[in-house]
Amino acid sequence: MGELATEKHVQYILSVEKKKDDFQSVVMEHLRMNGAYWGLTALDILGKLDTVDADEVVSWVMSCQHESGGFSGNVGHDPHILYTLSAVQVLALFDKLDVLDVDKVTNYVVGLQNEDGSFSGDIWGEVDSRFSYIAILCLSLLHQLDKINVEKAVNFVVSCKNMDGGFGCTPGGESHSGQIFCCVGALALTGSLHHVDKDLLGWWLCERQVKSGGLNGRPEKLPDVCYSWWVLSSLIMIDRVHWISKEKLIKFILDCQDTENGGISDRPDDAVDVYHTYFGIAGLSLLEYPSLKPIDPAYALPVDVVNRIRLGKRHAI
Amino acid sequence: MAENTDVQAKATDLLSQFEQILQSDPLIDEIGFVHPSQFVKLNEELGSSKSASSEITGNENSEFWLQHHKLGISTQILHPLYIAARNTFMAATRKYRSSCNQDDQTMAGNSLCGLSNSLNIVESDVMKHSRALLLLSCDFGTAWNSRKFILSKKQNLSLYLDELLLSKLVLSFFPKSEQAWSHRRWVIKLLVEKGYSVEEILKKESELVERIAEMSKMNYRAWNHRRWLVSYMSREQALYELNETRKWAALHVADNCCFHYRRRLMLKILAESSCAEINSGLTLGIYQVWKEELDWDEMLIKRYIGREALWIHRRFLSVCWMRHFATDNKIFNQEGGIKLDIPFFIENELNLVNSCSFLSNEDFEDFQTQATCSGAYLLWLIKNCPNLKVDDKLRTYNLNTLLKKVCPERYPLWDSLIDSIESSD
Repeated sequence: MGELATEKHVQYILSVEKKKDDFQSVVMEHLRMNGAYWGLTALDILGKLDTVDADEVVSWVMSCQHESGGFSGNVGHDPHILYTLSAVQVLALFDKLDVLDVDKVTNYVVGLQNEDGSFSGDIWGEVDSRFSYIAILCLSLLHQLDKINVEKAVNFVVSCKNMDGGFGCTPGGESHSGQIFCCVGALALTGSLHHVDKDLLGWWLCERQVKSGGLNGRPEKLPDVCYSWWVLSSLIMIDRVHWISKEKLIKFILDCQDTENGGISDRPDDAVDVYHTYFGIAGLSLLEYPSLKPIDPAYALPVDVVNRIRLGKRHAI
Repeated sequence: MAENTDVQAKATDLLSQFEQILQSDPLIDEIGFVHPSQFVKLNEELGSSKSASSEITGNENSEFWLQHHKLGISTQILHPLYIAARNTFMAATRKYRSSCNQDDQTMAGNSLCGLSNSLNIVESDVMKHSRALLLLSCDFGTAWNSRKFILSKKQNLSLYLDELLLSKLVLSFFPKSEQAWSHRRWVIKLLVEKGYSVEEILKKESELVERIAEMSKMNYRAWNHRRWLVSYMSREQALYELNETRKWAALHVADNCCFHYRRRLMLKILAESSCAEINSGLTLGIYQVWKEELDWDEMLIKRYIGREALWIHRRFLSVCWMRHFATDNKIFNQEGGIKLDIPFFIENELNLVNSCSFLSNEDFEDFQTQATCSGAYLLWLIKNCPNLKVDDKLRTYNLNTLLKKVCPERYPLWDSLIDSIESSD
């Protein structure tokens, strides 16, 4: 089995940001805020967050904030809850949450809660259980969870549960590992995991491991490195991670590395991208791979960052 | 510097060519990014040598290709074209928003709500440029939003229907585009509010999803869209859809999305058949629906070896059967020739599992999967049906040995589950 090509991955992540000379790199610019979160969290897990200029990142993040309090995926784009969470997470990585007008961000998120407890992604009203997780996590990071109706929020998430123990994007939606992560995460953050049938959900998640050791997101799908995060973190949150083979999963993730130029792909020998690089590294961190910072499965941030926020400690820079 | 301006001018020119093509043929129903060398091939296939721009602008080049309402864009020009589309759109939408604000101010206190002429022009610019941009970058949320913003001020049904066409065109090339599906739902809600025929919408959306599901397998968003529409259906429409998708499902037995859709339809039908109706025997249909699905699924399981989606479907069907229909009561154990008693049902399921769990040494992987799925199915049934008494017959079945033999890698799972079942006895 190969080893994690740490240095190559750091170089790869740093290079992604600079690359703007082809269609593939510019066409993703509308979600640059998500990209920043993926890349920077991966760097932090690798212990290399200090290779980037924190002030530069923070000022760019803040330039994406709107009057409404929400953040957009890039300068000049419309705000959305997806990017608002990424912005808050990036600031948390750098211990810069104090630059935020907390009430303003809180009001934006609170304003997106609907009567049934669900959350819309933005003013245009699309509802998704992912947005529930995002809202709950975002407010948890800001110590403002009491500003929404948590009970209703939890009830909505629970209403997305299926007979197979999994969760979908809305009530009645097909179970999907990504949605399951969000729903389980939302329930974990609100202390409501008793709503999960742990054996049943653990069973469904365990069946996602295929022969190669990789995890898929739904029945009959090919394995994909990103599910190393979605499935694994869910299994950890419901205490069923011993049901899968960790060794085989580690091997699968390491096989997806580009050991020459850095980066991790969805499956062995595919093209790498920053999204899969982050989820591969985060998955390895959950699997306690040596010399990686541990990551929190519900907050999707390094454990030391979460502890700092929870304890309200402030580090001098 | 001069070179830079040249590049920009060329990009702007590409964008206007692109927008002209889109305007010239409102019936374009498919779009794709194509390497220019493929244009020649495409032309040969069609016995024609015209590129789109030669038709439109009279220039012979290979940047766009248009035939039979199919539009190809050369991969060589994507980068400059995208940059031009994005810059032009962003400038237009900024201008539009500031004009709107000004208009709001001048309109203040005026009950007449109309748009000034200049605003009309900017508005149509936003619509034109956002369309071009979305065909290049399907999840550019701000562009979809700008269209919603403009549409939400209009009462024109045909404009809404145009949006469905645009979303459909985007989906022809980006079948997983979250924003394109979401935009569709936003428009459909408006159409329904304005009294547009739900029946018409259901028909068109089902056709669209089926077409997209054909080219993009196990497409979660496509099927989720169709599943979302179930809430608009009557019991009869749900029954119709259930029948309509049977053939497709049988041809795509690995597509769990389609089977999930069928499960939603069945639950809809079940919910619409109230308890009173079930008790009075008026809805014989619901038993038949379930029985037919169980038989059909069994037939597929035997025909297509080792298909996980078929077994997952069976888990659902059987648990619902046990929860809603099966009975110990000998008096009502038959409904229209359908046996409802538990022992009969279990006997059948055990026979199925038996016939699927046989393994010889030289068997292929599919048979191993089939054996694993069948053992896991029986375990699932025992775990999820409290009214199913784990009698001696099931006990001697020795699931434990079967599962550990055919799927040793899930040893910890089988161990925990069987332990928990035994301790709950």
